[in-house]
Amino acid sequence: MIEFLRTLVILLLFPTGLFLLFNAMIYQWIDRKLVARLQNRVGPKWYQPLADTIKLLANEEVFPEGTNHILFVWLPVVGLAGALTAALYVPILGLSPAYSFSGDLLVTVYLLSLLTLCLGLAGVNTRGQFSMLGATRTLTQLFAYEAPFLLALLGPAVVAGSLQINEIMAYSSQQWLIFTQPIGFVVLLVGLMGKLEIPPFDSPEAETEIVAGALTEYSGRGLALFRLGQWVELVVGLTLVAAFYLGGIHNPLDYVMKTVFSLLFIVTLQTTMTRLRIDQTVGLWWRYGTLLVLVQWLFIYLIEGVS
Amino acid sequence: MMSTINKSRRFTVPIGPQHPALKEPGHFEFVVDGEIVQSASVRLGYGHRGIEKAVESRSWIQNLYLLERICGICSHIHATAYCIGVEQLAGVTVPIRAQVIRTIVAELERIHSHLLWLGVAAHEAGFDTLFMYSWRDRETIMDILETLTGNRVNYSVNILGGVKYDLLPEHNEAIRMGLDFLEERTVHYVDVVTNDSLFLRRTQNIAVMSYEQALIAGVTGPTTRASGVKRDIRLDAPYLAYANYPIKLMIETHGDLEARFVVRLRELLESYQYIRTLLDVLPEGELKTRIPRRIKAGETISRVEAPRGELFYFIKSNGTDIPDRIHIRTPTLANIASVTHLVIGQHLADVPMVLIGIDPCFSCNDRMTVVDNEGSCDVWDGEKLRQYGIEYYQKRST
Amino acid sequence: MKITLMFRDILKSLFGKPATEPFPNPEQIEPERLRGKLHWNPDGCTGCQLCVKDCPSNALKLFVIDKAKKEFVMRYDVGMCTFCSQCIENCRFNCLDMAQDEWALSASSSESFIEFYGKETNVKQLLEASTTDDSE
Repeated sequence: MIEFLRTLVILLLFPTGLFLLFNAMIYQWIDRKLVARLQNRVGPKWYQPLADTIKLLANEEVFPEGTNHILFVWLPVVGLAGALTAALYVPILGLSPAYSFSGDLLVTVYLLSLLTLCLGLAGVNTRGQFSMLGATRTLTQLFAYEAPFLLALLGPAVVAGSLQINEIMAYSSQQWLIFTQPIGFVVLLVGLMGKLEIPPFDSPEAETEIVAGALTEYSGRGLALFRLGQWVELVVGLTLVAAFYLGGIHNPLDYVMKTVFSLLFIVTLQTTMTRLRIDQTVGLWWRYGTLLVLVQWLFIYLIEGVS
Repeated sequence: MMSTINKSRRFTVPIGPQHPALKEPGHFEFVVDGEIVQSASVRLGYGHRGIEKAVESRSWIQNLYLLERICGICSHIHATAYCIGVEQLAGVTVPIRAQVIRTIVAELERIHSHLLWLGVAAHEAGFDTLFMYSWRDRETIMDILETLTGNRVNYSVNILGGVKYDLLPEHNEAIRMGLDFLEERTVHYVDVVTNDSLFLRRTQNIAVMSYEQALIAGVTGPTTRASGVKRDIRLDAPYLAYANYPIKLMIETHGDLEARFVVRLRELLESYQYIRTLLDVLPEGELKTRIPRRIKAGETISRVEAPRGELFYFIKSNGTDIPDRIHIRTPTLANIASVTHLVIGQHLADVPMVLIGIDPCFSCNDRMTVVDNEGSCDVWDGEKLRQYGIEYYQKRST
Repeated sequence: MKITLMFRDILKSLFGKPATEPFPNPEQIEPERLRGKLHWNPDGCTGCQLCVKDCPSNALKLFVIDKAKKEFVMRYDVGMCTFCSQCIENCRFNCLDMAQDEWALSASSSESFIEFYGKETNVKQLLEASTTDDSE
């Protein structure tokens, strides 16, 4: 009974569930506020993402003609569910993960990609010209950044000798991997930008070319759920970066400082670079991204071999 | 066999009339194969307001303010072209101080237009930071214009026969300070645009228009100067103060998007220098001269260099205080057809950049489009158009 | 390969004030020549109606109460005015002036846009006559 209640609280309230949704909105606000300040503007107030979500949930949902009704309604739900489930295995707010088992790193990465797949499918399902183009670009970008992103996450796993996020964090608390694997850190952060379609990798969602990409025909509840899923992914991604490379997360203050530091890095790249075309993104990733992460692995192998 | 396979991968992407890439309505259709554009077509008419008809029922003075509102970005130059034409018809010479003040405001307008364009072009490329910073710097010019003329847009400096407002020493001070700040910023933007590797990937060697192509297509303005064609109305047919104080021509030869960026930025730098020269030599004199209410009968043309290219006015008077016919050919109308040729073979992602490269201003150039599905291809004159309109409304009311 | 060329700009902005001004701005100083709402001073007006004739949008209308004594009432429609100041150019007696600080002119009803300038008795007389006429 206690176990059941505990599960319920974890899934619905804290640390995932409602708390995670609010956490995601706060991080989205920090991102937008930082970008605005760097561009010499004022930026939105703290409740802006919350207000956006509430407004979207209250909007009418328009169903385009010719789409599969079931897929249209349930793809956003599955995407958000994937993102929320991925958060069960990472140390949100410095508390130990709610559930932990050997190999949960790969499960988390897969669940994070679930949202991107749902996005691509949603774009193909709605069958407009802009949605199709956006969906194609989303899936192309998925194939581009997934390999370096995964390899950059596996770097700490290899040196820690385990695929469990808990144990990797315990290992990285002793030595900060940002100093021993700096290339991996950079690749992971830039890969996170690719996953979240943050500029300069926002070609799948290029506002001035294809309106809104895969989400062009979405409005109301579906759009709100997809956006929430993307914001939750931001939190999960930042937590992984902080846990692996920045010396683990031990208490809430630690969590906030380390994730905001990584976010600062992302925001700097976001404001100083222009959007890349999809073929340039893929070219960049498959050439430099993979090359850098393989160089990193070479170093890990050599150092492991020596020690 | 190949064509059926290709056909199944082709589809038509409409850009406009409502699209985040366009700031004003216009309709483009691109037939794409994957991400490469195969063909394009353009359709205008969404912002048609019937201005050429409206001027035929307003007096010469009232028309000045109507024509000023054809476009918000190049409003002063429209009014200037009109004034030059009417003053030619009336045989009136505007005092030299008024001409220099008109030129100064025209160059200030060119600065504000090019800074606006830089921001919008950066936004289309996805470089929002450059967009925000260039528009922040543009506020300096808007403040200068507001201090000098009283309004940020639609300055209404011109009147038939001269200018309304004088340039006092405190304006001189404010203009110089503003120009110094902007010059520093523009030099920085030139550095960003020509050296940033990622931005160059979006602009270098994209939509190249060679010298011969530019001549055949008949493009005007910075678009053609980026392809090496030495064409600038301020030098070819000088008007206002350009006759006494010539301006330097900015030419790039490469003809790609980067050249169009560089030409406009270098024109900005030249404008700063030119305004300073004019402020130094501002002659004393009257601000306006008398012009009769009834303009002598006759026809005239006036050509000026708007920020986007050659602006052409044909003015016909029949001796009364109401014009007989005014025909306006704006630079975007000349440049827009080149877009349909430049995009062929480019990625779809580059299409908004190509469009912004010619600096389109749809509110300037709208024409009414008659879509004739039977495919007849003859030229309609005024009488035929009038007859069509009469029949159209008769049919509607029955 | 050079990237992040605008880094110094964003660094300066992070530690400085935003360039955005609040609205309404308490420190607002309007430029002297700002063309705000038009005001008409009946002293000196000869009733030549040059201002009415040349207005591009027909925002002005002059009613003659008594031509010999030069009593007029001017009807000014803020909603139609384009703030071009051609009327001020035309007036040879400096009766017209544009306010520098009345530029926030939006309202929720269009009745407030119509202003009658002139001596109070004249304006009242005109308005009573027009309500009996039932014009507009």
